[in-house]
Amino acid sequence: MGILKDKKNASRLSTSPCAQLREAYHNCFNRWYSDKFLKGEWDKEECVLEWQKYRDCLSQHLDDKHLSRFLEADGIVGGAHQNDSKSSTGAPK
Amino acid sequence: MVRAYSQEHTYKHPWERVTSASWRKFADPENKRTLSHILEVDTLNHKLDPSSGMLYTTRAITIHAPGPWFVRKIIGQDICHCVESTVVDAQSRSMQLSTRNISLEKYIEVEEKIRYDPHPDNPNLWTVCKQETSIRIKPFSALASMAEKIEQKCVDKFQANSAKGREVMERMCKYLEAESSRGITA
Repeated sequence: MGILKDKKNASRLSTSPCAQLREAYHNCFNRWYSDKFLKGEWDKEECVLEWQKYRDCLSQHLDDKHLSRFLEADGIVGGAHQNDSKSSTGAPK
Repeated sequence: MVRAYSQEHTYKHPWERVTSASWRKFADPENKRTLSHILEVDTLNHKLDPSSGMLYTTRAITIHAPGPWFVRKIIGQDICHCVESTVVDAQSRSMQLSTRNISLEKYIEVEEKIRYDPHPDNPNLWTVCKQETSIRIKPFSALASMAEKIEQKCVDKFQANSAKGREVMERMCKYLEAESSRGITA
């Protein structure tokens, strides 16, 4: 799925060599999100192997400095967003 | 000069399905045709807090942004990178996405915030999506006089694309609904 499209854009995109690993990870993630995470099974991280392979590939091919900064970061940038929008709308009970 | 606008949309699908669709909306081949300005989506980072059920994700979105020729000439590129941070709180059922551009930021700043929450009138079956977008063209000599016009163009373009985004989300939800009624959740 989507492989033809990826090939078409291959020449201009730096992370295209990772397309297959990306698809494998995203498929795994989507399954985990729907089948486990949303059903309360969030105690265990899954797709670890898929993630490692994909991430290794990204770190080799991501030539944009701005983007690799996010890859290297251990935590998640953008925590401020979480705080500021939390207060504005309360989650319905 | 800042243009800001907000939109609200109700999906007649449960929050779980809508947020699953949100993760998948750029990947599906059918959707790729509709959202042809999205060239590439990569996950850069993710973190799961196993005690609270909070999921944090950072993704890079590469967008093809063909502007008027004189803009392309000045900027020298027609590809723009955006970074999207997502926080999903599985316990309170909320998903928040915040996207901003990290390239071309000398010229333009776009920030889009989206929240998906269970709809107050029908929390188990409907989902409300609130979207806020702000676009700011940096005033700089070469484009100062045209900046206002370009800003409006950007707004028009963003609104057209977010309408497409909704269309894709609706289609994705229907697809997931059909899958789950067949007993497949993947």
